Amino acid sequence: MAKRHTSGQRARASTTGHQHDHGKSRCLGILRQLSAYIDDELAGDICREIRRHLGACPNCEVFVASLRQTVSLCRHSPVPSLSTVDRALMRQKILKAAQIR
Amino acid sequence: MTPSQTGKAFDKLYRDHVDLIYRFAHRLCGEPEAAKDLVQDTFLNAYRGFERFRGDAQISTWLYTIASRACLRMRRKRKGAPDRELSLEEFIPTSDGEFHLQIPIDGLSPEEALQNKELRRALDAAIDQLPKKYKMVLVLRDMEGLSAKEVGTIMGLNERAVKSRLHRARLFVRRQLSAQGLGQAEPDHEHALLG
Repeated sequence: MAKRHTSGQRARASTTGHQHDHGKSRCLGILRQLSAYIDDELAGDICREIRRHLGACPNCEVFVASLRQTVSLCRHSPVPSLSTVDRALMRQKILKAAQIR
Repeated sequence: MTPSQTGKAFDKLYRDHVDLIYRFAHRLCGEPEAAKDLVQDTFLNAYRGFERFRGDAQISTWLYTIASRACLRMRRKRKGAPDRELSLEEFIPTSDGEFHLQIPIDGLSPEEALQNKELRRALDAAIDQLPKKYKMVLVLRDMEGLSAKEVGTIMGLNERAVKSRLHRARLFVRRQLSAQGLGQAEPDHEHALLG
């Protein structure tokens, strides 16, 4: 499991400028697969490889955390509901339009 | 089917699915009046096509499909945002700072975070700015909770295309949310923002 970083650790990594000890192309390869990773659609060995990378790369770890949060906000986004009056009015309009045809 | 049977069947269809389709329509249109227009258009088309529904898909999938097509027609008429392609390359960070764009919901549940009006408005705006073919995938998959296969059936896409659009849509929304300054707040400011 990837090591979790606190906000403070992330801030320090950001301000000190994290030095990659791996090629940036490795990060780009990971970023391309992050939605599939978040959705648990990848094979076990690929997931383990990504978790290993995230544990060693604060940049990618913060990126995946913010992408997860984005998805989570979308999933919980509230939406107004219809009133009983609106439901009845729309039904009337639909039936009227269907008969005009 | 006699007219009376059609009427009864339609009433049940409407009663069982109007809230679902309104929620979907509201998420696509972003405002109540356009959402109501889309709901009416959807159920009118469903009424007219009721006898042609073969039952080889779930009825909700059939209604989502009608609503998606109606939405695309409405948007063409209203000349909405141009439907540009989102390239994966445009979301690849070029600096440590871009990796570190953050959404300030640490320690809060999504429901708690969304109590914050500024964050909610930013999220709605980010989704609204998505080109429509990406928005539709994000809404169906991440907001309506459909599987990639169901989204593919509704939009006439294979699963690979659905997943590719979804990934780009999520990256777009993440970047838009962060770009509004919500993601760059200092810790004290974050607490004030979310308080």
